[in-house]
Amino acid sequence: MSRVGLVIVSIFILVAIFGPALVQEPESDFLVRLKAPSSEHWLGTDYAGRDIFSMFIMGTRTVLMVALYAGVFAVIVACAVGITSGLLGGKADAVLMMITDIVLTMPQFPVIMVLSMVINVSNNLLFGFVLGIWSWAALAKAIRTQVLTLKDKDFIEASRIMGISNINIITKDILPNIVSFVAINFISIMRGAILSSVNLMVLGLVPINGTHWGMMLQMAIGQTSLLYGGIQPIVNFATPIMGILLFQLGCYLFAMGLDEAMNPRLRR
Amino acid sequence: MEQNIKENTIIEVKDLTIDFKVENGILRACDHTSFDIRRNETVAIIGESGSGKSTLCSGILNMVNVPGKVTSGTVTYFSEYQHAKADILKMSPQEETQFRWKEISTVFQAAQNALNPVLKIKEHFYETILAHQHNAKAEEMDEKIKKVLGYVRLDPAVMEYYPHHLSGGMKQRVLIALSLVLDPKVIILDEPTTALDVVTQYYILQLLSNIQKGFKITMVFLTHDIAVVSNIADRIAVMYGGEIVEYGRTEDVLGNPKHPYTKGLVDAIPTLHDDVTKRKAIHGTPPDLTQKFEYCKFKDRCPVYQEGKCEADYERTRTMYKTGDDRYSRCYTWAEQDTPNMNGGK
Amino acid sequence: MAKKILRMALTLIISLVLVFFIVKAMPGDPVQTLTQQYMTTDKLPYEQAYERAKVALNYDPEVPVMEQFLTYINQLLHGDMGQSMSYKDSVVNIVLGALPWTLLVCSISLLLSFAVGNIVGLFIAWKRSRLWDGIMSGYQAVFGSIPDYIVAYLLVVIFSISLGLFPARGAYSSETVPGWNLDFILDVMYHAALPVLCYFLTTVASWVMGMKAICVGLLGEDYMNYARARGLSRKRILFTYLGRNAMLPQITSLAITFGLLFGGSPVIENLFVYPGVGFYLNSAISRRDYPLMQGMFLMIIIMVLISGLVADALNKWLNPRLREKR
Repeated sequence: MSRVGLVIVSIFILVAIFGPALVQEPESDFLVRLKAPSSEHWLGTDYAGRDIFSMFIMGTRTVLMVALYAGVFAVIVACAVGITSGLLGGKADAVLMMITDIVLTMPQFPVIMVLSMVINVSNNLLFGFVLGIWSWAALAKAIRTQVLTLKDKDFIEASRIMGISNINIITKDILPNIVSFVAINFISIMRGAILSSVNLMVLGLVPINGTHWGMMLQMAIGQTSLLYGGIQPIVNFATPIMGILLFQLGCYLFAMGLDEAMNPRLRR
Repeated sequence: MEQNIKENTIIEVKDLTIDFKVENGILRACDHTSFDIRRNETVAIIGESGSGKSTLCSGILNMVNVPGKVTSGTVTYFSEYQHAKADILKMSPQEETQFRWKEISTVFQAAQNALNPVLKIKEHFYETILAHQHNAKAEEMDEKIKKVLGYVRLDPAVMEYYPHHLSGGMKQRVLIALSLVLDPKVIILDEPTTALDVVTQYYILQLLSNIQKGFKITMVFLTHDIAVVSNIADRIAVMYGGEIVEYGRTEDVLGNPKHPYTKGLVDAIPTLHDDVTKRKAIHGTPPDLTQKFEYCKFKDRCPVYQEGKCEADYERTRTMYKTGDDRYSRCYTWAEQDTPNMNGGK
Repeated sequence: MAKKILRMALTLIISLVLVFFIVKAMPGDPVQTLTQQYMTTDKLPYEQAYERAKVALNYDPEVPVMEQFLTYINQLLHGDMGQSMSYKDSVVNIVLGALPWTLLVCSISLLLSFAVGNIVGLFIAWKRSRLWDGIMSGYQAVFGSIPDYIVAYLLVVIFSISLGLFPARGAYSSETVPGWNLDFILDVMYHAALPVLCYFLTTVASWVMGMKAICVGLLGEDYMNYARARGLSRKRILFTYLGRNAMLPQITSLAITFGLLFGGSPVIENLFVYPGVGFYLNSAISRRDYPLMQGMFLMIIIMVLISGLVADALNKWLNPRLREKR
């Protein structure tokens, strides 16, 4: 199953990298509004006559980029907090863990909503930042625990006795040991970021800019809706959903496979 | 004599095989084992960890858990009344719940976690009694519980405690009391003292010995520590690699082993009178039970084989040989010699 | 425990700071914006409108920041959250009006998915049902992959618009008279049906899988084997041994999940136009109604904190191991 996941995720990544170069920028053309799928428009057109397929391809890049930024941002913060906390211990640990606990206590989505009001989300990087800023806490705690267990292990102890600096211990001993663990969490943070980004967009809290599956959904729901009847509104609505569903499932299966591969207790 | 022994049998295990499905094949933890347990005696099953003694015990209770499975054999229980027989492995769920604990009770190896953390100690006793005597009265039950707690010298106040209030030794004693509450005919004790400190260990062994003598109970004692049982067991069965390799009266087996493995175990017992440096543990490790054996299972660790006095023929180790009055060994080389071996014997 | 209370207090203070300073961090001066608004809508002279805007926002730009914050806290402690800019009402009134609706929908759906999830999870673990295990894993994978909003939208399209079975918006119909009368209560339930169903569908699988995982772990415990050896009935083992031990962690997460549901309510309430806390939070944010946003956000944080406390208390009360260790 994890192979299936890997294949799905790889396809999406390839589409995100090369896709936008291969399709035309979708343009409004009110003469071809809500046309059914044809050889010219593989998935038909939306209410403004834009080609759904090319919107979807463009959207793939946006969605993946936003999720990637969110994931990278969260993982960096989580690693920094978790490793520092675990290695230093004492007061620094207490303060950092207090902050982490507070972030964990405050529910993510309302915080993101409020932040989206303050931060004018004008590009993908900022969007990723808003989505990632509240999703590092659980991972940071988990990394801290891992660091604490590793810390007691002989090889770290040996590094310390040999007078190797903290930075070296982190890069040589700790990071390689938590990398697969972090990878799994990175994927699940990305999944969460995609869900939040779509939810924010359908709520209309993120200004309409660029292409994103969430945007396509919002327009499909807001402008055409399924109530129009006919095939095209359904295709219109289903395309971004299928994108979300497939990519998320791919990530899920892949992460599950990774988890099984590295966690001996789950192996059969 | 033989007839007499037969009549005295309370549990007869015949050709019992238990297989576990594991990652790299099938692990045969109990390999065509046959032996009998006699009424009112204490029998000790001895073997190192992984020798299959706990599996054998779960087989006798028909409590083999997945991924384990009984693939051959029968376990017959002979009731005192009219010599009624019951096949433990073929009971219906109802018969089974009635049979369990009333006839055979157990004290498990992992006593520290054998009690339900959300129930008080007394509730464990109540539910056990009520499962077998649906109309038991509260006062009678309390009376009985106080009595069995008295056997193991526990204050009746522990009835109101939760399991986490008790120390390891106290939990172990509660479990022993619990195993006595329905006056069973047989108690199977799986490493009942391993997790305890030496003083508690000694104390509990004393208790068990007294209980056995006082109540005419059949006791089956599973342990890896031959020193522990030498004082209290009437007979000893030595297990190795999922098989019983020697079986007989304690003084016979320990005094004059008829299997090199038993001899190794006996030689490893420290006594007060001799030189510790001469103690030699059996070298090597227990065999991997997932393999298909082509030689005697003990071959790799056997001094007799290494001295070239035995060819370790697998087929010839498939049966037990009578090596004396009511004693059997799986080692055909020593059985054939049938002479007092190098130990000098009695 | 002391640490926990300290953390809760800190969380609350940080939330207060956050919502307070967000207004200050906003691009443009909200007081000026509101003043302009009052001048046009209520035809007030600038001075008067400015004064009113200051009161409404709980915020006077001429006073030092620290003092502003203290005034804000002081007013909060006196139960004053300011005036909503977009609704002609005090924020406190709107918060108190919204709270019962979210409580109603969240608690019904939570209890429902908790009950169903635990029973199904227990069943799957007890029967070692590979079939149902697979079905529920698949269900969880799919429902964990699509945004709640989509589920809510599809429910509206199917049950409300296509089949016409349930109303799609609001908490009750305008014809009924709010109060403790049967008509109203039935109407409220009728309107709550789809939001409840939506919460239920999106959360039930995680209860099932959680319960299953706990039970599978417990089935390997020694006391399970020991109970079987003692000849206890299967029913007794299922309920008193497996069920009771598995419920301990589940009940703790019940309270925590309540907090999470509360936080997740904006998405679903918005689609069903259900006048709860999340709906008003969303509408406050999109209308840039700062005082209302502050009020709703604080309400959500407070509910989450209370849920955490309840979870702790429940755990202490249910678990004999923790009961005495106060």
